[in-house]
Amino acid sequence: MDERQVMETDIVCVGFGPAMGGFLTTLARGIVNEDGSPVMESDLMPGMPPQVICYERADDIGVGVSGVVSKARAIRETLPDLDPACLPMCAPITEEKVVYLLDPHGASRRPLPMKAADAAFKLLGGRFPGCTYKDFSWELPYIPPFLNKHGGLTFSIGQFNQWVGNNVMATGAAQIWPSSPGAAPIIEHRKVVGVRLADQGVDKAGKPDAAYMPGMDVRAKLTVVGDGPVGPVGRAIDDARGLPIGHHQRDYAVGMKVVVDLPGHCPLRPGTVIHTIGYPEPEIFGFLYVLPDRKASLGIFVPSWFDNPVRTAYRYLQHWMQHPYLWKYLKGGTLTSFGAKTLQECGQNGEPYLVGDGYARIGEGSGTTNVLTGSGVDEAWASGVMLGEAVVQLLEQGLPFTNENLEKTYVARRRASWLEAEAKQARRSREAFASGFIPGVVGMAISGLTKGALCWPADSEPVHKRIPSIEEYYRGRVSCEEIARIRKDCTAKGLALHDALMDRVGWPAIEYDGKLLISHQDALLIGGKVQAAPGYADHVTFEDHDTCRACREKTCIEACSGQAITTNPDDGVPLFDREKCLHCGACLWNCSKPSKTDPERTNVRFAAGAGGLHSAEN
Amino acid sequence: METILFISPVAADGSLPKASLEALTAAKTLAEGLGAPLAVGLFGADVAPAAAAAAACGQVYAVTGEAFAPARYATDAAAMEALAKAAGATIIVAADDSRVSRALPGVAARLGGRIDAHVTAVAAKDGKAVATRGFYRQRMTAELTRTARPWCLTVSAGCYAAYDGAPGQAAVTAVDVAVIPAMTRTTVKAIVAPSADEQTIRPDATTLFVAGAGWTKKQADGAPHTAEAGQLILGFLGASKASLGSSKSLVDMGGEGEAVLPFLTHLHQVGQTGSTPRHQKGLATCCHGEEPHVVGWRFITERRAVNLDAACGWAQGKADVLYVADAFAVMKKVNELLG
Amino acid sequence: MFHIVVCGGIVPDPLQTLEPVKGPAGWGLKNELMLPSVLDPWASHALYEAAHLAKTVAGSKVWLVSLGPKAKLQQLMMTVAQKAPFELVVADGPASGFTDSFEVAEALHAVIAGIAGLDASKLLVFGGWQSASRGSGSTLQILGEKLGIADHFQGVDKLTVGADGSLEIMERVEGGAYQISTCSGAPAVLGWATGELPEPPNNPQVGMANMRLVMPALQKAKPAAVKADAIDYQSVTLPAQKRETRVVKDTPVDVIAQEIVDWLKN
Repeated sequence: MDERQVMETDIVCVGFGPAMGGFLTTLARGIVNEDGSPVMESDLMPGMPPQVICYERADDIGVGVSGVVSKARAIRETLPDLDPACLPMCAPITEEKVVYLLDPHGASRRPLPMKAADAAFKLLGGRFPGCTYKDFSWELPYIPPFLNKHGGLTFSIGQFNQWVGNNVMATGAAQIWPSSPGAAPIIEHRKVVGVRLADQGVDKAGKPDAAYMPGMDVRAKLTVVGDGPVGPVGRAIDDARGLPIGHHQRDYAVGMKVVVDLPGHCPLRPGTVIHTIGYPEPEIFGFLYVLPDRKASLGIFVPSWFDNPVRTAYRYLQHWMQHPYLWKYLKGGTLTSFGAKTLQECGQNGEPYLVGDGYARIGEGSGTTNVLTGSGVDEAWASGVMLGEAVVQLLEQGLPFTNENLEKTYVARRRASWLEAEAKQARRSREAFASGFIPGVVGMAISGLTKGALCWPADSEPVHKRIPSIEEYYRGRVSCEEIARIRKDCTAKGLALHDALMDRVGWPAIEYDGKLLISHQDALLIGGKVQAAPGYADHVTFEDHDTCRACREKTCIEACSGQAITTNPDDGVPLFDREKCLHCGACLWNCSKPSKTDPERTNVRFAAGAGGLHSAEN
Repeated sequence: METILFISPVAADGSLPKASLEALTAAKTLAEGLGAPLAVGLFGADVAPAAAAAAACGQVYAVTGEAFAPARYATDAAAMEALAKAAGATIIVAADDSRVSRALPGVAARLGGRIDAHVTAVAAKDGKAVATRGFYRQRMTAELTRTARPWCLTVSAGCYAAYDGAPGQAAVTAVDVAVIPAMTRTTVKAIVAPSADEQTIRPDATTLFVAGAGWTKKQADGAPHTAEAGQLILGFLGASKASLGSSKSLVDMGGEGEAVLPFLTHLHQVGQTGSTPRHQKGLATCCHGEEPHVVGWRFITERRAVNLDAACGWAQGKADVLYVADAFAVMKKVNELLG
Repeated sequence: MFHIVVCGGIVPDPLQTLEPVKGPAGWGLKNELMLPSVLDPWASHALYEAAHLAKTVAGSKVWLVSLGPKAKLQQLMMTVAQKAPFELVVADGPASGFTDSFEVAEALHAVIAGIAGLDASKLLVFGGWQSASRGSGSTLQILGEKLGIADHFQGVDKLTVGADGSLEIMERVEGGAYQISTCSGAPAVLGWATGELPEPPNNPQVGMANMRLVMPALQKAKPAAVKADAIDYQSVTLPAQKRETRVVKDTPVDVIAQEIVDWLKN
């Protein structure tokens, strides 16, 4: 088994998410008839339709993580007969709210104007026109048009992916293989000629071990890259080609969420969508989507411009859920699912070269996420559909998948689409967050209301440059000596710093109820069902170990969504445990030290890995 | 009207094994509850001691002969089929030991009946026989009944007290079974049991000691101490006469060529794909994990755990006591105290 | 050479939280069709052993026979098919642990009887000695009886094939011991425990080869006649799991050890 297998196919795809769902659904309709007979023939297997294989990293095609609210314009255009009732955990949107949450504990770090506004809300209460102040919250009287999702759907991306994947496979037009991480593109003479899968039967360092099987080379005339914002294949292509001039990938967020069985007393109706701002820290946004059968998908986004080096999403999520505005709905509920994922928040600013000789990019890794409208799934789907149409066109015309042909078909479609028009409006909408929360919110409103004509300009910085030292962040609140003592204590116990520091600045202790408020490890085991098959290399590694040893923030540990990265009592280089990794990729950008090889990157390496979440409710 | 048949092979010395005596109590309880007659069906080389032991329970039927001594599907099934027919049984109760579990489902099929295996209780409710058993690795429990007859039930060990009624003189009804060549294609060659020194699985022990993967992980000094872990565990088992169980992750490490505890095999594995043993007490050390592992101690009455992580999912809400401490240090001291 | 039929069902991924619910078709699991599934762990071992045996005994062939909902099987096969070469045979029906083992055996028998080219004299029926759903350990024996096979082995950890085609089998018996038996040869039924082989790596080429037969098998799958009324369930409940855990920390090791010893001796 030591020899590397090579296989030829017509089209190879990496990453099965909504973009790939849109691509394969569209492609299938173009290459096979409803009775399964080929519309056109494969070059490799005459008599058969073009052979299309998709490799997915996760252990099943429906175990990704995301609660979705979407206008679902593109999805409905492709699937006009889609009946929400036939899709598990899917509901048409019935009600939308944007809620500003005040801090009931006084522990969050709010700028002075915000504190003043909070005081005014409390003082004026319901007397303020259009304002209902209740439970430390203020429901916005109006939802800006760019944010509303009226007429859309809220659903589980896990269930949606499974449904789409099964439908695609049932057509016989494509095979979707889970547990098959694509490690890297195969690039020959500046042309992508396929994908190399991850090696198996290796030790943690990637060296051959018992049952060694080198990852197969899957060669194809077209490689479709849809492996998301932290996918190794897409990133390797970016490393090889660089990004188009003026583009950067400096804005990210980690979305952490739970699926909850709502308590009997919760009055929220299916299809209710609540967005929150202001709490637990001003920079952290929250969402709650009510699904059928008394389930809800809820969570927070912790963005890269939240300048706290101990940015734990899990602890903040627990405080957020317990905000009086939400807790009245959630208390007594039971957590059934948990997960996290990285969002690429640069949108079009982070768009890579969409095509090249032999490959095309779709989905979030291709810059489809729209940060102004807070929408990504439908945009990803739309990009896949456009590529699907383009590929069918090229196959029909018998034209090769060159850069030029893909530009003329796929890229041209994207440039002419609503996806592009809206991405342009969104392009500078978020940049003011680089200057702070208030400029960020104002800038977003200006951009949104003027459809991108105006913005609040600000310079972006590589993400690692934004992370201050812990001492700096807590200046005036916790002394350097005390931080040193807490750090020493936590390192000796192998614990992350965030709990001790948050306790210290006044965040109340989390009282576990064993159902919704549970330990991070229980969330991992009960909600995420995280696990990893043996025989794969560690996919999270640290590029320069001395850099880690000198690092005082170790944001990778604090931010890790699964407590998979932990302090090393014997060495400054953090430890990594594959069996706890959610594959959210947050470590990749939650690192305060630049890579020595690329100043835009950090010292954390995130490679292809199997395992992760085993929850399809996400 | 039901006719209950308790059925069992006899041990090499002709007696009834403990698991069978427990099943006999279950059968007797059911018969009494239903007001139904109980019959006893025995098979083996010589069943006289067992027949005497069960004489007070009811009519004894027996299939005897050397061919029925070894635990072999074909002869065991033929014997049980004949006994069931001779007794006119409508409900057949037996232990769920390896021998009966192998053959009784086939007997049920031959008789056109149905089987429920590994039941934890049989009872008469409203004049009907009702069985209780687990589903999905004992993660849920069902009470069920059936109309199909004969209905075979195998009873798990440890659920009933062993029958210890006074022995008597049994009038044994011999049941003939012709042994044809097709029944002896299989020959039992040997029983390979671990030696007393190596014996780490003790189903009758009071305590189950569960070792988790933490024993082979790096310790505070940055190095694993697998040999010391092995000594501590074996030392404890020797002193306490506890039975040894292990988490799947620890057993699996052996398959991956990692340094492991040499005395552990898949036989020790408790949990999702392992066993769910029954013991009064359980002490888990260095275990982590959730339901797939925790099902391994569903039938442990008193549970304690030693773990460095106070939030450990294995222990929180599942153990009665969690000691947050280094298992190496604790077990060293425990062994000293046990002498 | 052997014709090895591996019977393997779908069970929920062992990490999932399970809850019983009663529906119009009887008892099942809450969100049963939404739960991620795996091939039953014991049946998986049986499949790896079958593939290993087929590789070592020339001319042998492996069929994987499964009773389960077609759509679920399609998805699951994308993982299982990468592990070992086999031909899939599907009975489209429930994969519920609440289905009677006799009914399951009849459904499996019906599809096995329909396998073209299956030679009963070379037949080895493999499966798990338990399942992670019903956990009864009885389906294989009932199936064996229907197939007219009189040599059965359960809790098998090792099978050695002699030069004359005879079988030497190690079965788990009580107290951590093994019973070693020989059988003059096929046909036989073997219910596997964990066996001795590690889980094979995902081999994409094996997957591709299997797929050529998996999709047609799924398309051909006929609904299995499985009666739901064989068992009259009076109740299905979740055992109370939550215990009040007393956490002892920041306590000297000596004190902890003494407490444990007192408890053990009590």
